Amino acid sequence: MDFHRPARQHPLGVVILAIQFLIKGVQSFWPAIVGVSLTQLDWMTLLLIPFGILLGVAWAILYYLRFTYWVEEGSIIVERGVIQRERLQVPFQKIQAINLFQGPVQQVFGLTGIQVDTAGSSGSEFKIVAMRREAAESLRLMLAEQGAAPDGTRDPGKEAMTVEAGPVDSSHAYRGRTMVDLDIARLVKVGLTQNHLRNGLLGLAVISSLVGGLEHQIESWLSGLPAPITALIAAATVLLIVPGFILMLLTGVGVSLVTTVLRYFGFHSEIGRQGVFMESGLLRRNTFQIPFDKIQLTDWRSNALQRALGFETLRIRQAQAGDAASGVGVRLAIPAMEPEHRATMEEVLYPDLDQGVVMTGRPVGRLRWLLWFAALLPGMAPFSFWSPWAAWTFMALWLPFTGWTTLKRYRSFHLTVYRDAVVLQKGWFWRQRVILKMSQLQGVEWKRHLLLERRGVGHLTFHTASGAKRFSYLDKQTGFRIRDWALNQLHVNP
Amino acid sequence: MEVTVAANPELDLSGIPRLEDIEFQTVSAKYRQLRLTTWAGFQVVLAAAWLTPLIFIKVTGDEDLSLFQAWWWPMGLQFLMGSCWFLEEWKGFPRRGYAVRERDITYRTGWLFRTTTTVPFGMIQHSELVQGPVSRWLKIKHLRLFTAGGSGNLRIAGLDEEQAETLRAILETRTRKV
Repeated sequence: MDFHRPARQHPLGVVILAIQFLIKGVQSFWPAIVGVSLTQLDWMTLLLIPFGILLGVAWAILYYLRFTYWVEEGSIIVERGVIQRERLQVPFQKIQAINLFQGPVQQVFGLTGIQVDTAGSSGSEFKIVAMRREAAESLRLMLAEQGAAPDGTRDPGKEAMTVEAGPVDSSHAYRGRTMVDLDIARLVKVGLTQNHLRNGLLGLAVISSLVGGLEHQIESWLSGLPAPITALIAAATVLLIVPGFILMLLTGVGVSLVTTVLRYFGFHSEIGRQGVFMESGLLRRNTFQIPFDKIQLTDWRSNALQRALGFETLRIRQAQAGDAASGVGVRLAIPAMEPEHRATMEEVLYPDLDQGVVMTGRPVGRLRWLLWFAALLPGMAPFSFWSPWAAWTFMALWLPFTGWTTLKRYRSFHLTVYRDAVVLQKGWFWRQRVILKMSQLQGVEWKRHLLLERRGVGHLTFHTASGAKRFSYLDKQTGFRIRDWALNQLHVNP
Repeated sequence: MEVTVAANPELDLSGIPRLEDIEFQTVSAKYRQLRLTTWAGFQVVLAAAWLTPLIFIKVTGDEDLSLFQAWWWPMGLQFLMGSCWFLEEWKGFPRRGYAVRERDITYRTGWLFRTTTTVPFGMIQHSELVQGPVSRWLKIKHLRLFTAGGSGNLRIAGLDEEQAETLRAILETRTRKV
């Protein structure tokens, strides 16, 4: 397929663009739309609806006509913009991720979208919303092949290219050995082990915002009842605590299952000679190819239930656009990673993990007391609304509980240094294990305040192209040794 | 059965270059004047904001001082914060400095809150010399170093013009070499 001539998207892209513009328009002007719909509607107001649709369609046609893309001398060039024309030139080497996606509208028309992300400024990324599948695949293959050369950031591991990954099709450097394949049973397992408490609270927040006037209606209903019955109902609400908690948990489980199915339906991932391939999603079907050398860090997360079932979630972080503090970045997750999947990934990305530990670090004991103090503060809250004896009873139980949990948490902090990798581990119930390569570090920072300095304690921060990772309350000697080692390895393992 | 033995030699960590052994270059003394002037200006503006109502009460002869009672809190807070800021400027400035090694640059700053950041030359995407109107008058420049993702960005402020140009030249040479 020839991409060297300026080309437009597929003509049906006009429909997709029009729908996208209309959705964006509704999202931008929803307060005005709600306000107008609450007033008495006359035919003049109703005329605004077809006018808005026509405007959206006209804008989509203009956008479609003025959007062209082509490939020229190691770069992909995109010209776009209705009022203000923009010419975007993205060198192949700067491309971090190429993602194919199929939203519901693309699925109806049998088209595919392609999204290109870079590590440059937040504006230097683009989407082509409508392409034929074969054209999108060809473009992705070409961009991936041309961009395989090392760029301004260091290559994390050429050794990754030499991994034996089973039968590999040379045209599919990202396909080979199957990693995680989610069938319905596994999908349910992933859904059932999510954070239901958080999802339940989120679900309840959405429900309560949707039925905002419910409280007022209950109050007006109660005001019409005789006083003894109102008092009886008020006393009976205590009995609703347990069913209410169960309802929240059920809501949480429901939200977890729905979001898991939406996100991970038909999840399939493979590992090849040059990177990782994955596709997933129910309504919006995404396909990702991540070259090994673009992976900045891996973040392994699990809760106690997931560990009991023998799996964890891998989050892959690539270089992020713009300011690291903005949190904008390419983040991909592979759920249900079992020990053998983890071993395969680590073997490919961090071969030095097998070569022995160089040094380790643990936080100083002060962190344990700080964690305990922070955990005790919520325990003070009952003093403001319970009777003193009830609050003190609660505190008597809260104190040993938080003491035990913070001890477990404190013991979970580990910093392990290998030849070219650093592993930061924390968390007891929710465990997190971040692995980063020293050869990809953008900087190392030692930070402390005056009091910590006097005690010879500080925080060690590793800056990567995908954000900073900090290990706190490390003693000075260990911190300095790890910093010196990291800076040294950064230069000897370019 | 043949047993594979993994090579696992002991590593000698004593030869690793130590960052704490290096000597730091201080930044321009004129930058200290600029920072202290900024501090003083800020304090004067804030103090004026607190004192204006006092003068107003004195002039109008209004006996109702109930509102004035609460004035001590922001003034006290300003005094406390201002003192900490002054201490940070006074004691922290001599600590402010940079050090260049063969392959990286380190910048140290702060007294109350101390930070030592090292950025390898190989990771610097581009650098920038910044000079505003006041800096131009004082003949100082600020050097900004940008890394991928922005997390490791560094700003070395208050360099003498000559010092800044030399540092920029060193960076250019070293970045190319790495």
